[in-house]
Amino acid sequence: MIQLTNIEKYYANKGVKNYVLRLVTTTIKQGEFVSIMGPSGAGKSTLLNIIGMLEEPTYGTYEFLGEDVTSLNERKRIELYRNHIGFVFQAYHLIDEMTVYENIEAPLLYKKIGSSERASRIADLLDRFNIVAKKDLFPNQLSGGQQQLVGIARALAAQPSIILADEPTGNLQSAQAEEIMTLFKKLNQEDGITIIQVTHSEKNAQYGNRILHIADGVVKEDLAVLS
Amino acid sequence: MFKLNLKIALRNLWRNRGITSINVGGLAIALAAFILVVLYFTYETSFDKTNPNYNNIYVVGRIEPDFKTNYTSPPLAKAIKQNFPEVENAGITKRGFFEFTMKNGNNTLFAKNFMQADFNAAKILDLKPTGGLEKPAGVADRLSYLSEENMKVLFPNKTDNKPEMVGMGPSNSGITSKINGSIANNLHSNITFDGISIGNEIGQGENYGYNNYTTYIQVKPGTDVANLEQKITDLYRKELLKGETDQKTIEEIKGVSTFLDPLANLHLRPKAGNDAPYKILIALFVLGILILVIACINFTNLSIAQATKRAKEVGVKKVMGAYRFQLTTQFLTEIFIQCFVATILALTIAELALPYFNNLFQVNLSIWNIENNLFWQLPLILCLITFVAGTYPALVLSGFKPALVLKGNFSTSKQSSWLRNGLLIFQFSIAVIFIIGLFIINAQLKYMRTQDLGFTANQVVYIKNISLFHKPEKFAPVRDKILKIQGIKSVTVATGVPDGSENGGNGYTVNGVQKSIDFVDVDFDYFETLDIKLKEGRFFSKSFSTDTTNSVVINESAVAKYGIKNPVGQTIRGCNIDYKIVGVAKDFKAQGFESAVQPTIYAIKNPCGNSKTKIMVKIEENRMADALAALKAQWPQINPQDGEDFRYEFLDELYGKLFKKQEQLQSVFFAAALLTIFIAILGLFAFAKYITNGRIKEIAVRKILGASDIQIFKLINSSFFIMVLVANVISWPVAYILTKKWLETFAYRIDLPVLPFVSSATITILLAVITVSIQAKKAVKANPVDALKYE
Repeated sequence: MIQLTNIEKYYANKGVKNYVLRLVTTTIKQGEFVSIMGPSGAGKSTLLNIIGMLEEPTYGTYEFLGEDVTSLNERKRIELYRNHIGFVFQAYHLIDEMTVYENIEAPLLYKKIGSSERASRIADLLDRFNIVAKKDLFPNQLSGGQQQLVGIARALAAQPSIILADEPTGNLQSAQAEEIMTLFKKLNQEDGITIIQVTHSEKNAQYGNRILHIADGVVKEDLAVLS
Repeated sequence: MFKLNLKIALRNLWRNRGITSINVGGLAIALAAFILVVLYFTYETSFDKTNPNYNNIYVVGRIEPDFKTNYTSPPLAKAIKQNFPEVENAGITKRGFFEFTMKNGNNTLFAKNFMQADFNAAKILDLKPTGGLEKPAGVADRLSYLSEENMKVLFPNKTDNKPEMVGMGPSNSGITSKINGSIANNLHSNITFDGISIGNEIGQGENYGYNNYTTYIQVKPGTDVANLEQKITDLYRKELLKGETDQKTIEEIKGVSTFLDPLANLHLRPKAGNDAPYKILIALFVLGILILVIACINFTNLSIAQATKRAKEVGVKKVMGAYRFQLTTQFLTEIFIQCFVATILALTIAELALPYFNNLFQVNLSIWNIENNLFWQLPLILCLITFVAGTYPALVLSGFKPALVLKGNFSTSKQSSWLRNGLLIFQFSIAVIFIIGLFIINAQLKYMRTQDLGFTANQVVYIKNISLFHKPEKFAPVRDKILKIQGIKSVTVATGVPDGSENGGNGYTVNGVQKSIDFVDVDFDYFETLDIKLKEGRFFSKSFSTDTTNSVVINESAVAKYGIKNPVGQTIRGCNIDYKIVGVAKDFKAQGFESAVQPTIYAIKNPCGNSKTKIMVKIEENRMADALAALKAQWPQINPQDGEDFRYEFLDELYGKLFKKQEQLQSVFFAAALLTIFIAILGLFAFAKYITNGRIKEIAVRKILGASDIQIFKLINSSFFIMVLVANVISWPVAYILTKKWLETFAYRIDLPVLPFVSSATITILLAVITVSIQAKKAVKANPVDALKYE
């Protein structure tokens, strides 16, 4: 599904190249649950941003679903966002002016889904995540864990084939974190959604089935998780 | 989708309602000012536009070697029409030069301007008597019409349009005249009147010397006007030269020419006049646009200052699959909503301010008028301001990179560009100029109100009168009767009252030196009534029999002009009389403050002067009402010729009208100073918000390092302090030059004070520091941990 070949990312400063990523080559298949791990500043988030097409690599090729997306125009990229990729953020990034319901609805509006279909999908998600009672509340009226649930529901609304999560539990307490990770595992196993997460926590990484260890921009280890 | 965006927009605006209201309110106020300016501009530039031949009508004027005038003589129009086929029509009008009374029973009308026009002129000027314009039957026949308002005064119950007979002058005069009907007096026209009399031909028998008329011509469309102008000049010279033999006169005639002045120019920039009103109007219009543009830019700045709050939304929406143009549209819609509200608000403000505006500019404008161009202009302006104010923030906001804003510690740049600084300085400079101007106008007006005029206008009543009191013995019985009324101190009659009007001038000779000086013909007690001070000699007195034959009083300026030492007792010759100077009066400001006191001679007997008609009465203050009532009651006996129509004005009020122009200017400057300072503060507010938002992290770090609140306030204020100071320094020379120029229009003026310059600096700096500190307070009071959380 994702094929990265010799991905490099550096920032040139007065002629000195500061490498963030060096010659990253890896393949992620449909249905995998990959955790990217590594110390601070290793380039985890940058790698995730490149996979999510939020940043462009300085060098190397990136194929998404067999298509070269290294430098894609805005229109094509947005098509991919609408149909294939869902994002989950550490700081949730729900839109403060929208209710829970509207937050989940927003991606469907961009995808131009009909209103009855929209209503049924949202009802489904609210139901599944047990937040029906919260649908008319605004994000600041929810706890962190609940906000992240809404964040995931929003990411799932457009029925993406892959979810990119940047430290999804970084702001959460451990009980809530566990809940979120269990949910991810379930989504991966039952719905076959590919998940790539960046995490610091060895424990969270165990929920997935593959771990990429990165240090100083280089993939040091590529381990399979034995369940 | 649109509904959702609308919902977000409204929620967002509501959440930041403080900022929203400042933003919308500022725009609304500027827009209201702009609406008023546009209304006024449209009004002033559309005089006579309802005339169907608006673009083809010209006034024919004369250019003499030393002046230009619109006054021409009756034969010219006829000659033009006969000679030039491209002139479709030519006609003349004549203004009414004196006020006369018209009566119907007890209803009295004072018609100041009863105009005359020939039928051709009436056609050209599109005069519309009720029932249509008719051609007078015979050569000598006249059709007279009263303006609709005046008709109401004389015939309040009249419903038909039948001719009426009215009495002319006092009822005992026995003169009656026929009024054929009423006529619309369009105040939005160059041709206004109380009444008009239309004849087939007017000014018969008057030749080229009688330059009392205005000539209007209507040319065929597409006429070469410059060529016609030349041809008319040639014709005019040819006509003047007819039968002329004197070589000197022939030479003089060759120096005379004519000009054609379009009807469209007549109101604002007549060729025979000055174009100051036009320039002022353009300046006002430019100022209006400037204020609106600056308000739009402030709006933009404030919107961008709020950008951090929306950055996350942009980032999230982008990764959810929103196109940039969708976000741009969303933000533009939001700004459109604000501009729309601002427009509605502006209309309300303009409507509320309109009565004051109308009063100030002596116009009658209204917004709710079907023919008002505003109805198509306003939506256009709305779109324009949305575009000007909205494009930049919409593009900036929609351009945020998700990867940056979603990391969590995004902040807008704290860089301030020279453009932003320049704009702020510019805004404050304009405000400073208006503040200084306002202070100086105030000071000059205060000076004019408190300065000793050299005479006392208080408690002097000027009585209008049509009887001629040329000889003192004719006025004596009138004076005696008036003085019998309790409370009346003194009475006099003269050719002029000190209300700023100009006096006649004539050549007088002292010691062989002839100079032109003003003359005022007076009666006994003139100086006493007006409380004018004596410098030397004496004023007129009944005990000197020569005072009614050849005594004169001159003023200090006249003494200075002739350079006479010991003037009392010397001879001054004028009007073929050798006058003896009996006294010198101290100068008094009869003409107001703009022109210097004119050298003037006061005589009781002056065969060359006009008739003395203007009666002035000095009345004790606490008996004023009684005395006026008694005067009114006894007037028919006192002044039988003009008895029924007792009309008076208080001299101090009349003199006070001289200040009207300055008072008007004061009001304009007051409004402009408020408006510009308000807009400048608004701009500063947005800018300060933007800067502090960008420096929140810096402030947090400084606080952790041990900076006190005061030090941080100083830090944030310092750059703004400098900018406002620079604005002051830039405006001072400009304001200095402008106010000096303005003060130079006064013969009696204050020295340019320093205080306004200092005050303007104090005011603007104080306001700036307060505004910035309010913004800075939030950043200073905030817990540094919040700002540094994501580090």
